[in-house]
Amino acid sequence: MTVTAAAPPRRVRVPRVGTGLVQYVGFLPAIVLLGLFFLVPLGIIVCYSFWETIDYSVVHHWTLDNYRYFFSVTAYVSTMWATLWVAVAATALAIGLAFPFAYWLSRYVPRRLRTPLLVLVIVPFWSSYLLRVYSWLTILGEQGVLNRFLRWIGVTHHPLGVFLYDRPAVILVLVYLYFPFGALTLYSSIERFDWNQLRAAMDLGASPLKAIFRILVPQIRPGIITAVIFVFIPILGEYLTPQIVGGTGGVMIGNLIVNFFQAAEYTRGAAVSLLIAAFIVVLLVVFRKSLSAKEAYGA
Amino acid sequence: MARDLEVLSPRARVARWLLSGYALLIYVFLFFPIVLLVLFSFNANRYGTFPITGWTLEWYRQAFSDYQVHDAVSTTIRVALQVTLISTLVGTAAAFPLVRSHLPFREGIRIVFILPIMIPGLLIGVSLLVLFTSTFHWTLSPETAVIGQSVYTTPFVILLVAARLQGFDTRLERAAADLGANTLHRLVRIVLPLILPAIVAGALFAFTLSLDEFIITYFLIGGHNTLPIFIYTQVKFGITPEVNAVASMLLVGSLLLLALAFALPQLVRRARRAVLKARPA
Repeated sequence: MTVTAAAPPRRVRVPRVGTGLVQYVGFLPAIVLLGLFFLVPLGIIVCYSFWETIDYSVVHHWTLDNYRYFFSVTAYVSTMWATLWVAVAATALAIGLAFPFAYWLSRYVPRRLRTPLLVLVIVPFWSSYLLRVYSWLTILGEQGVLNRFLRWIGVTHHPLGVFLYDRPAVILVLVYLYFPFGALTLYSSIERFDWNQLRAAMDLGASPLKAIFRILVPQIRPGIITAVIFVFIPILGEYLTPQIVGGTGGVMIGNLIVNFFQAAEYTRGAAVSLLIAAFIVVLLVVFRKSLSAKEAYGA
Repeated sequence: MARDLEVLSPRARVARWLLSGYALLIYVFLFFPIVLLVLFSFNANRYGTFPITGWTLEWYRQAFSDYQVHDAVSTTIRVALQVTLISTLVGTAAAFPLVRSHLPFREGIRIVFILPIMIPGLLIGVSLLVLFTSTFHWTLSPETAVIGQSVYTTPFVILLVAARLQGFDTRLERAAADLGANTLHRLVRIVLPLILPAIVAGALFAFTLSLDEFIITYFLIGGHNTLPIFIYTQVKFGITPEVNAVASMLLVGSLLLLALAFALPQLVRRARRAVLKARPA
């Protein structure tokens, strides 16, 4: 913090704007906003999940009944497992599809074309989320493009309803929604990879695939983990995708939460919300070392 | 470097073609649904799907004359403006101490600031619903939705402005202080102009996120409609070409704003350079 200019007239320690006495004032509005309207409500949800609803009013009586109720209904428990399963499958597919793409982009595309091609991937990601889900109805529905196409080539003569309203449709749309995120995160780590190492491995007799999995993949592990976390977590809390393309066959835990809260069963809904939150916290704690929000959001 | 590898591995040429074909398929996969949506909004077929029976602007005309759409658009814009104002002010203010203070628990605060982005919006929505209705006994309104959306958009502004502040050349401030500028002067004349592109980008970002936000709004807006909520309630009754038209307009609107958000820092830099050049030395 010392001024190093040659023979300054006065050797002053100039406080930068935002330091000194006013150092913490800037935090105040954010602490009010995020404290009062983010942390406090989360705390309330935690309490609610351990309280009771009697005659539509919440009684401050500590109990595990809400959790017991959730785990006593087979449909709920199987929905929870299905949600985890869908989230794992969609995450694996999204990242699995994104890896060859990111590899292609950073290895085979000329440098000046990389940024525009990357932006092209992110464009759908930043366009309306609801519309991206909704647009799949026009493809998978009974009057949708896929059915039209199948009838046109003669595979079937009547519209098939099998494409929509089940888990495969949910997984497909989730992969569609989160692919750009996986591609972006993976690309930003592969881009920094020194390709000479791959060349060296192949010089020493490794096959290209072996070289990729033994040399490249271990080095971009933090990027892969970041991608997995930032794809997996939002999928756990998905509501719209299962609601719009999943129907009754594709229900996820998010739909249960919404149903509980819309039925004013706040305490039960809170318990289910806390299950998701607990899962996220565990995930974040396990992977906190490799987490880089900066990398994830390119900020 | 890539060329060298190809010399080593004769299969690399094949791999390159295969991967390029794969990438092309990925782009088709990403854009097909969106292009289709826009295409159907101009399709005369009133079922909003194939076959294309002719081109029309009828659905746009209908959308423009629908009072529900009007209502939803004006609510959406009003909410988005308020969210933008709140999150830009709060986010910019918080970015300064986040980058510059020497708090021992700065990392903890940083995590709290980023948490609303990482946690599913659903949890923000339901927890605020409980706070507003059960604890505060407030009536749900567009204003409660504004608070909920701000919780989610402010962290983005913080990240953007903090990143800019991190790369800030503090010698400029010291030079200004040497020349007699007080704290307020340095803030207004030196610091703010230099981080302005990040603030504006953050504001545009917040605005776009607010335009598209669904789940938090869904819980907190009560009986009102924003455009995404309106589209959602319409989709429940099946696809209509009118919804396709509304959807296409929302799509184009948010894409334009985002393009602006990304292009702005560069535009500002270019403009500033032009001004400096034009000024006599």
